[in-house]
Amino acid sequence: MKSFVAFTKKEFTESLRTYRLVVLAAVFLLLGVMSPLFAKILPELLSGVDLGGGIVITAPDPTAMDSWAQFFKNVGQMGMLTLIITFSGIIANELNRGTLIILLTKGMKRHTVILSKFLSASVLWTASYLLCLTVCYAYTEYFWPASILSNAFLAFFSIWLFGEFLIALLIFGGILFGNLYGSLLTCLGVIVTLSLLNILPYVQKYNPIALAGGTLSLLNAQKEAADFIPVTIICSVMAVSLLVMSIVVFNKKQI
Amino acid sequence: MTNTLSVKGLSKSFGANKVIDSISFDVPEGSIFGFIGANGAGKTTTMKMILGLLPSDNGEIFVCGEKVSFGATKTNRFIGYLPDVPEFYGYMRAKEYLQLCGEIVGLDAVVKSRRIAELLDIVGLSGVNKRISALSRGMKQRLGMAQALLNEPELLICDEPTSALDPMGRKEILDTLKQASRKTTVFFSTHILSDVERICDRVAVISGGQIALSGTLAELRTKHKSNSILIKFASAIDKEQFVSAAALLMKDVKSVDMELTLRVTDIEAAQRVILRILSLNDILPLKLEVLEPTIESLYLEVAG
Repeated sequence: MKSFVAFTKKEFTESLRTYRLVVLAAVFLLLGVMSPLFAKILPELLSGVDLGGGIVITAPDPTAMDSWAQFFKNVGQMGMLTLIITFSGIIANELNRGTLIILLTKGMKRHTVILSKFLSASVLWTASYLLCLTVCYAYTEYFWPASILSNAFLAFFSIWLFGEFLIALLIFGGILFGNLYGSLLTCLGVIVTLSLLNILPYVQKYNPIALAGGTLSLLNAQKEAADFIPVTIICSVMAVSLLVMSIVVFNKKQI
Repeated sequence: MTNTLSVKGLSKSFGANKVIDSISFDVPEGSIFGFIGANGAGKTTTMKMILGLLPSDNGEIFVCGEKVSFGATKTNRFIGYLPDVPEFYGYMRAKEYLQLCGEIVGLDAVVKSRRIAELLDIVGLSGVNKRISALSRGMKQRLGMAQALLNEPELLICDEPTSALDPMGRKEILDTLKQASRKTTVFFSTHILSDVERICDRVAVISGGQIALSGTLAELRTKHKSNSILIKFASAIDKEQFVSAAALLMKDVKSVDMELTLRVTDIEAAQRVILRILSLNDILPLKLEVLEPTIESLYLEVAG
């Protein structure tokens, strides 16, 4: 337990001093501000544009849902990409450079490394996400007061869960290959595979990728919470399995 | 005398390549043990097996009487380890890194800060407040030494601690090792033979995956006595005159410039004869020396 606390403290120091924290906070703050602002401004920019021949774009007045649509799109794409890039080296770099050798020979357990890294990355992701969500919510309320959000908790929880899944995936890839490329390619490979699988209609309901982009339909009540329960469970189970597998593989790994 | 480290019939292959072939040796308590071998001879592999970082194919390793197992081995609580190129977190300061190590080992706060202050002083980093990324190689090596000594280990394992350092840095590390050996057994690998002669009392030479030579330095010197005498002359004329006068001794001779190295069977008798010939012919040599076997000559003999 002592080594867990010590190593986790080290992880936070690392995030602070290698600017990981700053990058995450800045990007997610930006996404939080950008989403409602974009929803507000875009129709105004487009309307009145004369495309020639008398064709004029008339955009409908934006609503809170447009703001949230931007939010899910931005966090689901830019946000996830930022998450992947900032955490791709979380374990890969340590293995590649050999920084863990001294600490492991001091008696720190290998599972401590994985759990501590997952915890600290999760805390950073959660904090950045909450920052983004709060800012977006505040602006959206300001522009379109008292808008109705259905299934708000599940809708916002889903994309957070997908982020957790990605962190577990990056750790697993890093453990498996011991370098940055292994970690990145594992993560991207899984995302591409899941996206391809999503073409099959009967898979969609159970595909974790749905959590990254499809939850707007929850918020605007096109779908019900029950539709997303199976995939939420599947994604959680997958994330936990990835962590367990990381520990098993790491315990057998020669370093 | 008990053995702090005991290796019995250890083997390790990487694929078809047998790196370590059934080696055995003991490191007695309190000794400074030099583990000598060329690059790629299997020194690091052996050390990693002792630390439980690599599984062995065959054989057993005991540290302080306890058997080493692959993975999270309990025997590491007896060991302080300095890897060949120690990698730290560049964004930390030396003191912060030692604090992290102390917390991982589970030292209590008072002991920890006292030990850290002591060690920073020993390795000469107490006034240094730069981040580790800004430290020189020698300073990093000294920090590595400090972290290895942090929990007052029974056994200090250093993997080529002096290889990449300048003469000053080497001297500092060797001095620290010597100082540490008062409290702990030291096992270190190297291919720098003068380091071995400077501080080791025991050595093992690994070559071709096997222990080619092992014992105390004194033992090895006696066993491999070279029975050679070196004479250095002031001029080529002196040298020629001596060679013609001492024809009987000229059976096994090496002649380089003004020097003659004679290999003889009875070293004392030969010395008397040589002195007599020199005196009879009125030759004053610049140097007359009975050659001691150096670690280098021993090493070249077994590994060359």
